[in-house]
Amino acid sequence: MINTVEKIYTENNKFCFKVTDTNNKIKFVPNNEANSDYQAIQEWIAEGGVVIDNPPSE
Amino acid sequence: MAKLIGSAPNQISTNGDLGSMAFEDRTNYITKGASVHQPFRNIIINGDMSIAQRGTSETGITSGGYLTVDRQSFVIVNQGTFTMSQETDVPSGQGFTKSLKFNCTTADASPTGTDRLYLSNRFEGQNLQYLKKGTSNAESLTLSFWVKSNKTGTYIAELFDNDNTRQISQTYTINSSNTWEKKTLTYEGDTSGALDNDNNNSLELNLWFGGGSTFTGGTLNTSWNANVNNKRASGVVNLADSTSNEWYITGVQLEAGTTASDFEFLPHDVNLQRCYRYCYRINGNSSDQQQCGAIGFANGGSTFNAMMRFSPDMRTAPTVTEDNMSQTTTGSAISLTGTFDNSDTSDCNAAGLSFSADSGTPFTVGNVMFPRVNTSTSAFIQFDAEL
Repeated sequence: MINTVEKIYTENNKFCFKVTDTNNKIKFVPNNEANSDYQAIQEWIAEGGVVIDNPPSE
Repeated sequence: MAKLIGSAPNQISTNGDLGSMAFEDRTNYITKGASVHQPFRNIIINGDMSIAQRGTSETGITSGGYLTVDRQSFVIVNQGTFTMSQETDVPSGQGFTKSLKFNCTTADASPTGTDRLYLSNRFEGQNLQYLKKGTSNAESLTLSFWVKSNKTGTYIAELFDNDNTRQISQTYTINSSNTWEKKTLTYEGDTSGALDNDNNNSLELNLWFGGGSTFTGGTLNTSWNANVNNKRASGVVNLADSTSNEWYITGVQLEAGTTASDFEFLPHDVNLQRCYRYCYRINGNSSDQQQCGAIGFANGGSTFNAMMRFSPDMRTAPTVTEDNMSQTTTGSAISLTGTFDNSDTSDCNAAGLSFSADSGTPFTVGNVMFPRVNTSTSAFIQFDAEL
């Protein structure tokens, strides 16, 4: 069960998702539609989940 | 010159000039229409339950996923608590060495609504095009497996077409308590709904052992049809109705055609390579450190960049999890929880990835780094591209 999702930015404004589940386990999910964890994030967002998004300043 | 004069059934003359008839037994020859045991005919990967990269046991399961034996996804929604484990309890004399076990540890005797319990195997559409689904030549599929449970009664084995939202279910019965039984079920070919030719989840085999009314309230659908949820698992037992319940399975094979061939045992290395497409995990141990095949360099005071190549390519860009990694130069533990460059197909894809990690420990910029899994049985790094 997803608890929090945070965008992790790297160079050139690319990002992955840092997902923390309800057992405090952490996984890093690519920004890729074929990844099943990415799909789970989209379902979580559709159900009202909000992604923490703090893009780096320009 | 040889004369071909043999005419007896299943026989052919091998030398008509010998003066006496010489016949060769053709009983075991491949003849047109005969069953041919094609290599890699089993659509199931790791059907003998022998590979368990993630671990051999997971307790206290109330939400599902790929938890122990490779490629075996446990779907559990609000219906009891289970332990899932790889076991050595197998049917005698069949060649199997491992089975997968589900043990109910907290009961739920009255499932409702969308509660559900099943074991799911999921398949890429690009591997199923030879089934010709959605054409007039669609192949039948035959499922065979060994199963054992104290809970006798009716169970459901379902094929679910994710591309076209179609499904078909069959029942099987566990007749004798705590006894290994072999089950064989045949599913008609589906002339509707072609499967996508891609790397996504096109077809699932779902072995149900519990469900609420959302999935059991109707009449079981035993022909390919558009999905109606309450026809998927009608009549299924509830394996969660007692903490005495357990269910074992091994030797799962799904193949084209209307007959079940012998289980296709693959060499361990071949089986493992097939699993690597969906999960690649490097586990630590208590005696030495495990290199993960990545190489990199320190690019800042406390960070380094590294890259690694997957072999074979994974199904898609993987999710990454890790615990207790370090790098060779200093041996200081690093954490991948800070920055992890896993952001797009140029940096992370099915073929490999690059990543950065922040150790909190000063590095000498430019030093070569070899990320590794530490000397600990709990240490690991895992790349997950499951369906």
